[in-house]
Amino acid sequence: MELYLPIAEITINPSIFLILGMSVGILSGMFGVGGGFLMTPLLVLLGIPPAVAVASEANHIVGSSLSGTIGHLKRKAVDIKLGNLLLTGGIIGSFVGIGVFNSLIKIGLVDLLITLTYFLFLTSVGSFMLYESLDSLGYLKKKKRRKNYHHSWIMGLPFRMRFKKSGLYISIIPPLLVGFIVGILASIMGVGGGFIMIPAMIYIIRMPTSVVIGTSLYQIIFVTAIVTLLHAFHNQTVDIILALILLLGGAVGAQIGVKLSSKLEGPYLRMALGVLVLSVGIVMASDLLIKPEETITLIRGGGSH
Amino acid sequence: MISIITAQAPLDLVIDTNERDVEIQSGISGTKIVLFGATPSGKRDIIIEVVGPPKNQTMQEKRRYFGFWLGRGKSYYKNVPSYYNLLSSKPLKEITNQESLNKLGLGIEHLPLGKANIKYSSIKQLKFDERLRSEMFEDGQFLENEENIVLRSGPGKVGLFKTEFSLPPNSLQGKYFVRYFLFQNGEAISYAESIIDLKQAGLARLIWIFANKFALLYGIIAIILSGLLGWVVSLIFSRYKLT
Repeated sequence: MELYLPIAEITINPSIFLILGMSVGILSGMFGVGGGFLMTPLLVLLGIPPAVAVASEANHIVGSSLSGTIGHLKRKAVDIKLGNLLLTGGIIGSFVGIGVFNSLIKIGLVDLLITLTYFLFLTSVGSFMLYESLDSLGYLKKKKRRKNYHHSWIMGLPFRMRFKKSGLYISIIPPLLVGFIVGILASIMGVGGGFIMIPAMIYIIRMPTSVVIGTSLYQIIFVTAIVTLLHAFHNQTVDIILALILLLGGAVGAQIGVKLSSKLEGPYLRMALGVLVLSVGIVMASDLLIKPEETITLIRGGGSH
Repeated sequence: MISIITAQAPLDLVIDTNERDVEIQSGISGTKIVLFGATPSGKRDIIIEVVGPPKNQTMQEKRRYFGFWLGRGKSYYKNVPSYYNLLSSKPLKEITNQESLNKLGLGIEHLPLGKANIKYSSIKQLKFDERLRSEMFEDGQFLENEENIVLRSGPGKVGLFKTEFSLPPNSLQGKYFVRYFLFQNGEAISYAESIIDLKQAGLARLIWIFANKFALLYGIIAIILSGLLGWVVSLIFSRYKLT
């Protein structure tokens, strides 16, 4: 069976995209990330124009993160107050990100921006997670533990607020800043930003792991909804059909992934995710360095023709 | 969905024909068009070309900057045919020679693409043209269907021909020019032209138009649909306690 994607302007085999959605969904259920950081590059590899991949993936994550959040709300594992704070930063960040995205579309550098952002964030986050998990498994030489070294300056910041669900009394600046950065990334990379949000919440904001995933997903719904709207409005690059096919596969996969995750131990899980993130980053970078088969290509997808 | 198509000009390629018509069937996979008509009998061959409404295209050249392959050199083509189909009753080389195909401008490689505005590039327009043709061919927008026209002998001295093809689901609305060439012994001996007016677009094209004309509303619907589907899936899973 074949299906024509109206905005991406290519014909696809929907079963491949259903399976892709499902596989990434399994990973996202296992690791508590949206999976967009994997999905967007894979879509590009399958021939979806990068600008369409980014916008449609944001649209896809709206549904998948909503589905996940509902599950976590039932387990009372969402800190809505802290989530709203992250969200405030996220909204501002996504407007900034879209602005950058638009001006780069005009001068034709958007593909470079997407690839470089992916490379930088995937390799740094991936290496960090790998290092951290190896460290906590005791594979690395024990260094003198600096006591609460990233706590000290964060504790000193003003505008402190109490977050009952997370059991925290912290400044509102770090969550706002984390939200802001993730918002920018969400609009440039077409990701929910879970793979950056989650480590930041654990290591910087020091939230308890039990509420991290639910809270991250909660704010991702709104950030990706805004990103979808902005892309649809400014660039006409949201492919609704593509998003829905991915979601159909992804939603089922995520539920399977949640089951699998209970069978893996924390540090090993983080190590696996670290390796995965790192390898996607390397694959994306090689795309920039290896000579393409055809140097002249038709630009497909998007609006205004 | 039904497309309304009218054949504006009669198919007057042929002598004494009143068999002239265009038949349309449209579906999700595209719009099927059947062309048929009559020719004077005898050993004759037909070539038909269908040229779709113009569309602007952009080509991009990747070049190496500081070790990175980046898409920089863009070229903007105005009024490239959005669709081209060459149909023939026999393999082209059995009908006529390359020279007369050149002269008549028949075939993808002879299709005029208009002048391109090429920025940042040192490469000649020919290279861009050639790539545009092959990309359009890969996308199924430019086609050559040899031996797609069926010839039959009709009553008396009349030969009948029939051919059918599908317009892709994203086909633009507008005028499709159909040009009929009658060949005998390698020479074009008669020519006729008709216009198919595609009045209504396929579903894919309608989505595209909606996304462009009502961008904000489209975005809102995209969000609602995605959220709704996510919600329904989570409902199903919790209802049947699958997690």
